[in-house]
Amino acid sequence: MTDPTPQTRPADETAHPITRPGAEVHLGVFFQGVNHTTIWSDPESGSQTDFASFERVARTAERGLFDAFFLGEGLRLRESRGRLHDLDVVGRPDAITQLAALAAVTERIGLVATQNTTYNDPVDLARRLASLDVLSGGRAAWNVVTTDNAWTGENFRRGGYLDHARRYDRAEQVLATARRIWDAWPDADRPDGSVARVEAHGDLLDVAIDPTTPRSPQGHPVIFQAGDSAQGRDFAARSADVIFSRHGSVLADALEFAADIRARAVAAGRPEDDVKIFPGTAIVVGDTPAEAEEKARWVARQQVTPATALHVVGTIWAEDLSGYDPDGPLPAHDPVVAELGGEGGSSTTGARTHEVAARWRALAEAEGLSIRDLVIRVSGERGFVGTPSAVADRLVRFVRTGSVDGFNISPWIIPSGLDDIVDRVVPELQERGAYRTAYTGTTLREHLGLRAPLTRRGAGAADAREAALAGV
Amino acid sequence: MSGARLARTVRHAENAGLTFVTFADAVVPAVPGSPASARLDAVTRAAFVARTTTAVGLVPEVPTTYPEPFHVATQLASLDLTASGRAGWLASVTPGDAAPAAYGRAPVADLDREARDVVQVVRDLWDSWEDDAVVRDVATGRYVDRDRIHRVDFVGASFSVVGPLITPRPPQGQPVVLARSGDVAGPGRDGERLVDVVLVGGTDVAAARAAARAVVAADPGARAVVEVQVVLDAAGRTGADRLAELDAAGPWAPGTALRHVGDPAGLLALLAELADDPAVAGVRLLAASLDTDLPVLAREVLPALRADRRTAAPRSGATLRDHLGLTRPADRFAGAARATA
Repeated sequence: MTDPTPQTRPADETAHPITRPGAEVHLGVFFQGVNHTTIWSDPESGSQTDFASFERVARTAERGLFDAFFLGEGLRLRESRGRLHDLDVVGRPDAITQLAALAAVTERIGLVATQNTTYNDPVDLARRLASLDVLSGGRAAWNVVTTDNAWTGENFRRGGYLDHARRYDRAEQVLATARRIWDAWPDADRPDGSVARVEAHGDLLDVAIDPTTPRSPQGHPVIFQAGDSAQGRDFAARSADVIFSRHGSVLADALEFAADIRARAVAAGRPEDDVKIFPGTAIVVGDTPAEAEEKARWVARQQVTPATALHVVGTIWAEDLSGYDPDGPLPAHDPVVAELGGEGGSSTTGARTHEVAARWRALAEAEGLSIRDLVIRVSGERGFVGTPSAVADRLVRFVRTGSVDGFNISPWIIPSGLDDIVDRVVPELQERGAYRTAYTGTTLREHLGLRAPLTRRGAGAADAREAALAGV
Repeated sequence: MSGARLARTVRHAENAGLTFVTFADAVVPAVPGSPASARLDAVTRAAFVARTTTAVGLVPEVPTTYPEPFHVATQLASLDLTASGRAGWLASVTPGDAAPAAYGRAPVADLDREARDVVQVVRDLWDSWEDDAVVRDVATGRYVDRDRIHRVDFVGASFSVVGPLITPRPPQGQPVVLARSGDVAGPGRDGERLVDVVLVGGTDVAAARAAARAVVAADPGARAVVEVQVVLDAAGRTGADRLAELDAAGPWAPGTALRHVGDPAGLLALLAELADDPAVAGVRLLAASLDTDLPVLAREVLPALRADRRTAAPRSGATLRDHLGLTRPADRFAGAARATA
């Protein structure tokens, strides 16, 4: 749950200069699988696990000439006060396995697997990603994420051994090891035709292997990174091709984020446009502005069910509020916890609890909000809401002011949630000359307009190569 | 190595009427440093053909010794979902020092114990969601019934897993588990079967039949499948010539499998002799070259077996369990929470 963010009015956005007049909008789709933003109670909501749902979304995205289809990763089911969280969509397939099946029924769209660097072995991960990349003809990507909590580690051989401060060190070493494995197979750079042995010895991993996976048409899988901390941003600037950001709803905020990432990329010895920026977002369209607003309100109420509203507030108050009236006021008493425990899979910490509660109470009193209305109000950015034409104008403005390269759209309903965007928004973008009318490449690297992998750019990019292989 | 070629080969196998295909695997190559050792991940290959086929069983080899059991369980459950109940798992063991060096771990000393623990916990995890755990109860706002999703709290000799799995129970309940005789010794913790299909071999037909009878004697519900290496007369050359050429490039280890080198009629005679023993549920044909031997199997061997009613082509819509005559198992945790509530 994010904090309330003031919505910038689209009118204010025109104040920012167009710096990339010919730039095109790129789109990806995120099939989320686990969260409360995927509506499951509506009759249109389909299975979250049947292959048909995934195929429908992926094919729709490919029809809409999207760059990529994303899947998340599960390592442990969320819990709340020691019990399984039961209010949200949950239960999903393994990302790489599912994407491999999708690779055979799609032709061009990129396939992005979120994979954790803490609870995966580098050799398994590098090999499975390379396998997906070869089988898909160069369409694979790895969205690199980190975890450190021991709670998640309880499902794994290695357990919860990693210090929070070192989660990106491990990520860096795992990624550098993967790159060495992907570079081991012969090609023009290894004309003797032999496969190089990889010895990677960092302080957080130890790998010695003769790799078995040949190169894919795109050299390496594309690297996405999704962390927003300073450490995460530096990691992306050194090592990623694309950053999957949270800064795509408010233009001024998106511009600030872009400037920060570009500065960090340059500091890492890379061209400033070397890291593409893809914020996550949602899109709601209607025939008129009023209809779109009405639909957005409906979506928000479907996402925040009465039970979910009580759960969210209960998370902050650290007590079971299921007896409260979701259409009534917040609890009259303050949260009594000092430190919040047992909220598996959540990043809310005890120290922030009182602060959040005070802010929510002030907001609810000022605006006369019920528990459910308050939770809807604080549920963060709502993405883009409007007519297809107005939404397209804003998407183009975000790209052409240089704040983002594209958007990663999370449909709020599966499997039909992308239809409106592909059928109504994409044509508007194309009319504006701001969206491809056909795929021009076959690999994901080509779709995104990326340069060669960081380790494969020749002598002129020695610094970037060194940074990408640091740590092992 | 391309996706198109893989899909073509497996479709050919399906059309030939084979019941299942296996995807061999190893994280380290047989011949280090040689591009001839190219091999992609088995689960990923099996998943790639999950939707390019509709009937044939898909059985990737996944070692028990070093990979993360939680990921193995998730991947195979996902394959079963994607392939609509056609997934199997060839659970293998990885001796030697090369694999632990790749994983940065000390060599596992007790391969048997590790294999037993891993198959046990993977089976536990497959059952951690009851079939009807997703309830979508709009009135109460509950997507799942948390009483139908269970922790496994498995504690093995070298690792522990609390669970539950992140993936709902797969269509077969439990994908079919295959293992070479001796690799995974059962029974499980509660006396249950760990391996559904035991792969056996022998120095000759009589020995293979005896090995199959031993499997069924130990567990009448298990299936015994005999491994047979085949090098057929094909493409104008004798099997013997082809084998000599293969061996010159690097000897093809016979292992414990039977081996047939020669014409299709000889293979049919061998298979008939095996099939005459009721303990033999099937054979796993290990072709020297899929490109060369599979067309001959499809054209000259499988049709004759079907004509004799010794095999039937797999049916679209049926599960691998259906084809092997294995029933869909009850969930080991079903009712547990409610019984104690």
